[in-house]
Amino acid sequence: MTRVLGWLAALALLAGLGMAFAVAPREATQGTVQRIMYVHVPSVWVAYCAFVVVFVASIAYLATRAEAADRLAHASAEVGVLFTGLTIATGSIWGKPTWGTWWTWDARLTSVAVLFVMYVGYLLLRGMIDEGERAARYSAVLGVVAALNIPLVHFSVLWWRTLHQPPSLMKPGPSSMPPVIVRALLVNFAAFALLYVYFVAKRVRLLRLEAEAGA
Amino acid sequence: MTFARRAWSVVWKDLLVERRSKETLNALTFFSLLLLFVFQFALGPDRERLAAALPGLLWLGFVLAGLLGLGRTFVLERENDCWEGLILAPGDKSAIYVGKLAANVTLMLVVEGLILLLFAVFFNVDLGPALAGLSLVMILGTVGLAAVGTLFAAMTAQVRARELLFPVLLLPVQLPVLLGTVKATEAVLLGEPLGAAGHWLGLLAAADVIYIVTGLLTFDFLLES
Amino acid sequence: MGDNWGFVLAAYALAAIVLAGYWRHLVRRERELNAPVASHPPGVPGAPPPRQR
Repeated sequence: MTRVLGWLAALALLAGLGMAFAVAPREATQGTVQRIMYVHVPSVWVAYCAFVVVFVASIAYLATRAEAADRLAHASAEVGVLFTGLTIATGSIWGKPTWGTWWTWDARLTSVAVLFVMYVGYLLLRGMIDEGERAARYSAVLGVVAALNIPLVHFSVLWWRTLHQPPSLMKPGPSSMPPVIVRALLVNFAAFALLYVYFVAKRVRLLRLEAEAGA
Repeated sequence: MTFARRAWSVVWKDLLVERRSKETLNALTFFSLLLLFVFQFALGPDRERLAAALPGLLWLGFVLAGLLGLGRTFVLERENDCWEGLILAPGDKSAIYVGKLAANVTLMLVVEGLILLLFAVFFNVDLGPALAGLSLVMILGTVGLAAVGTLFAAMTAQVRARELLFPVLLLPVQLPVLLGTVKATEAVLLGEPLGAAGHWLGLLAAADVIYIVTGLLTFDFLLES
Repeated sequence: MGDNWGFVLAAYALAAIVLAGYWRHLVRRERELNAPVASHPPGVPGAPPPRQR
């Protein structure tokens, strides 16, 4: 079952690549560099989804104490951090030729950076607790707090960057998107989403094996 | 024992212990003075530059002192083997959370007041007209810091490398509060009416509500073992 | 604006390396965890060794 998922994800990724390079048109203002968007944006969408899953799984664990919920939260956080890191890195690579700098405190990059640090902290907490049951419980609480913090981070950073800023703030990507670009984005998002599910499935199985081996 | 009674007894105990030993208060006061020196040395003698950075420096000082103070929330229980006492306490454990939160907010506000005074004196800033606005921002911000800080202090109390993990977990989560308080303080110090910083104050208030409710709902889970 | 193909390749290469690297890490860990179980002599004589999926 997982293997089928893996192949599907691989196929979808190939399709996504095709869409990004062959189908999507060359963007007028930024040129070829804009194609990085097809990795950068789906990556961040998947990351946010991953952390929503962490939130739900954390609540589920606190309510039911089902180990499966704990494993799902753990796996989803790990894969989420992976995609968040990828978002930041690709965003940075995109930013260098576009804005002339590797890093800028623009609203989206800053929010994603805070997200990254929060959930790396989540993984650190898990790493520092040896007892499985307590690790699950404490991480679940942190998972809930971190997720509830996301909208607060989003708005505070947005206001920090856009209030009293000139309206001509450059943003990656065209402001109104022609349908072919939206399609390319969606295909890549589907591909990354499938990859996320595949990774989480494998990671959950690994966690179960590790628990059985340790027990 | 009612919830309020239980919470109050925790507040009373913590504040009484603090008043007797003044351990934390003394150390944090001295720390604040040191912060002043550190900021001065790190940023150079240019008074103008320091005054311009005052809102940020102020809250940097509050957050650093807060990290130290909040990190000690459960140190008494831990050092005196009283953790089991907390676990075995009957009834709604979130009363302990409320009590600890109230004690922390009180302590932090006292220390922050001191820092504010020190900064005003050393940077020669007249805080008189801004005092009411500042107080509001400080209360909103401190409640936010303490609400999560108290929860995370319980979370890290029995964990490896707790002195490292506590700030590492708390700081990212507190970034919205830091942003809100610094921007609001900026507005207040510039003499703007509170309405100008309205959305920041709203954000702080929303954050406070979210954090306290979350703390109330999840604290029990931390004290199960 | 110029074409900056180098940056595009860098971004996609980075993504490929990171994602493939994580996948390999998962596969390798799974193999490690399954191997000792498979090589452990079965408790019941005649029982078939555990199958890999």
